[in-house]
Amino acid sequence: MWWLKDVWVIDPSQKLSAPRDVLVQGGQVLEISSSMTEEEVLEKAQGESIDAVNGQGKFLFPGLIDVHTHLREPGQEDKEDILSGSRAAVRGGFTTILAMANTQPVIDNRALVEFVRRQGERAGYAHVLPIGTVTKGMQGAELVEMADMKEGGAAAFSDDGKNIQNGEVMRLALEYAKLTGLLIISHCEDKYLAGEGQMRRGVASARMGLKGIPASAESVIVARDLLLAEETEGKLHLAHISTVESVDLIRRAKKRGVNVTAEVNPHHLIFCDEVLGITDTVLKVNPPLGSRADREALIEGLRDGTLDMIATDHAPHTQAEKARPFAEAPFGIASLETALSAVWQHLVVPGIISMDRVVEAWSFSPAQRFGLQGGSLVPGSVADMVLFDPEFSEVIEPATLVSKARNTPFLHKTFQGFPVMVWVEGRLVQRDRKVL
Amino acid sequence: MKWQRKDILGLEDMSVEDIRHILHTAKVMKEILMRPIKKLPTLKGKSVVNVFYEASTRTRTSFEMAAKVLGADTTSIAIAQSSVSKGESLYDTAKTIQAMRADLVILRHPSSGSAKFLADILDPGVINAGDGQHEHPTQALLDIFTMEEKLGSLEGKKIVIVGDILHSRVARSNAWGLQKLGVDVTLVGPPTLLPVEMDGLGVKTTYDLNSALPGADIVMALRLQLERQKSGLFPSLREYSQLYGLTTERLKKTGKQSIVLHPGPMNRGVEISDDVADGVQALIEKQVTNGVAIRMALIYLLIGGSSNVVA
Repeated sequence: MWWLKDVWVIDPSQKLSAPRDVLVQGGQVLEISSSMTEEEVLEKAQGESIDAVNGQGKFLFPGLIDVHTHLREPGQEDKEDILSGSRAAVRGGFTTILAMANTQPVIDNRALVEFVRRQGERAGYAHVLPIGTVTKGMQGAELVEMADMKEGGAAAFSDDGKNIQNGEVMRLALEYAKLTGLLIISHCEDKYLAGEGQMRRGVASARMGLKGIPASAESVIVARDLLLAEETEGKLHLAHISTVESVDLIRRAKKRGVNVTAEVNPHHLIFCDEVLGITDTVLKVNPPLGSRADREALIEGLRDGTLDMIATDHAPHTQAEKARPFAEAPFGIASLETALSAVWQHLVVPGIISMDRVVEAWSFSPAQRFGLQGGSLVPGSVADMVLFDPEFSEVIEPATLVSKARNTPFLHKTFQGFPVMVWVEGRLVQRDRKVL
Repeated sequence: MKWQRKDILGLEDMSVEDIRHILHTAKVMKEILMRPIKKLPTLKGKSVVNVFYEASTRTRTSFEMAAKVLGADTTSIAIAQSSVSKGESLYDTAKTIQAMRADLVILRHPSSGSAKFLADILDPGVINAGDGQHEHPTQALLDIFTMEEKLGSLEGKKIVIVGDILHSRVARSNAWGLQKLGVDVTLVGPPTLLPVEMDGLGVKTTYDLNSALPGADIVMALRLQLERQKSGLFPSLREYSQLYGLTTERLKKTGKQSIVLHPGPMNRGVEISDDVADGVQALIEKQVTNGVAIRMALIYLLIGGSSNVVA
């Protein structure tokens, strides 16, 4: 049995943010109370050994749930695999991760869904939940067998990495997915507007002579999908929202009662396009880093709940792929191991976003919206938990990263504030930054 | 002054002093170039490698001539354009060149930023001979040299650069360089080839060539990539030429004996008419000659070491 003493518990599911003692037994949260005596704990342990942790000055919150990761298995294991990705997850404070379907082959049938799920179980770190594609072969034309894939364990459907350009196919997907109760996750990007663009279209792209992606490439599809969700009463989730116009569209749609949620990536909350140098392929990401105004609108959207969730869009790539001229390097930032600390350092410490809101947006809300276990420390809940030490300091170095990928903009940077203990179903999987 | 730079990547981050020093050095180089026997032993034993990922006749030849006049050995690696993201990466090519102990690398590459990418990897210097749509510093320097040769100081002069601004590394490098020298720069082109964010370069922009021309001391027509029409960026060559083609009639609107530049190769009858291209105001052949001088200056400055051609 675990006894976490005098720890600051953040649990938005019970509107709790206060010092508490927490008992964990048999993979579940047993009790949370203001204080416990040793006698009380001994009695509850009923002979079981007690691991006591002094939680003073640290936070305990439900394990983070990341609804947007790319684990690259099957097919691109040189970038990442489910084992390395799920180890990176628990090192970064994530106890459940949803794996996007744009692997090779793409996850468009039940057998592949079960494969990903099984690989996650074999790895035995974070819970790995497969997302299936919306369309066969991710070709944007014919729907997958959604009901069968749900039976196999699919947690949602998405053609992420590509947009479904055909509005009618998207409409049908939102309709048909009602059979499953699962979400359609939309990667909003008009491929014609995005073209061969490499970064956000703006002064920085004009200056560097890099092809620009206009903000409208995202926002016009956000508008389309919101209208389709409204018309069909389907369940829509919008991935990696990055523009001020998108935030505005979502805010208005929610007022009308559209069944939609949206996520924002840490890098869009932290960086904007003006920081990009012409060889900074590590910051080449899709959707691209936006303007200052975009960044401010995303922060405001996260604060007021227009943007429901934070998600990493963990996109591992090899060093060789990123060591290319800007236009030839792939899009994506590997972030599972650094995202929480980056958000803490860049947004929570300066007082831009509260830690309570971060936990709500990165654990409670995803659990609620996707219907997942976790996201709560109410007694009886699964003991997926993170102990976060705001004083713990570490330099992000290639040697310590457990992900296969090194494509993080935080390499060689020092952060203070890290998850120092992580439990999955009551089992300790990370301690003092080491994956066990 | 003491020359510090290892590489020539662009004019955006080049100081006025460096630009002046290059132009001054090029003047000496041009004198050498104009001699009947143009061969110096200055860079004997030095190797200059041309790495061209894009087709180029004049720029590559110009660099080769420049290096040879100075006595360096030159090697050309022409790499088919299709090799981008296939075959050997630029990173590996760079490592190979490094291992062959080149003293200077001249790079032309279709990706913006490729020259800096290479320079960050290599110990030897890199001269950017055009990186994507980013910069083409040697072209801008030879343009500036040509303008100064004809007009003297460029301070307060007015230039109109007309054409496909969006895709032009020549326009970008000239915009940076000329502004540093106090030139009033106006970029002209159709809205699809002159997006509003080009204002970020600090220059004036307009869609109307006729209104931009009055008072211009220099008019530069850019080469129009004909395939842009197929991507829908403008409706036809005919309309483009009507609106932005440099004709004798139009050139009169400057109200002075303006000089005309073109980086070549020209699409005669599209962005420039025959009579302008071959007229007395055009300095297009001078640009080519000066190009060799500018490249001699740069090669000399980067790998000339302590040798003393320029007092």
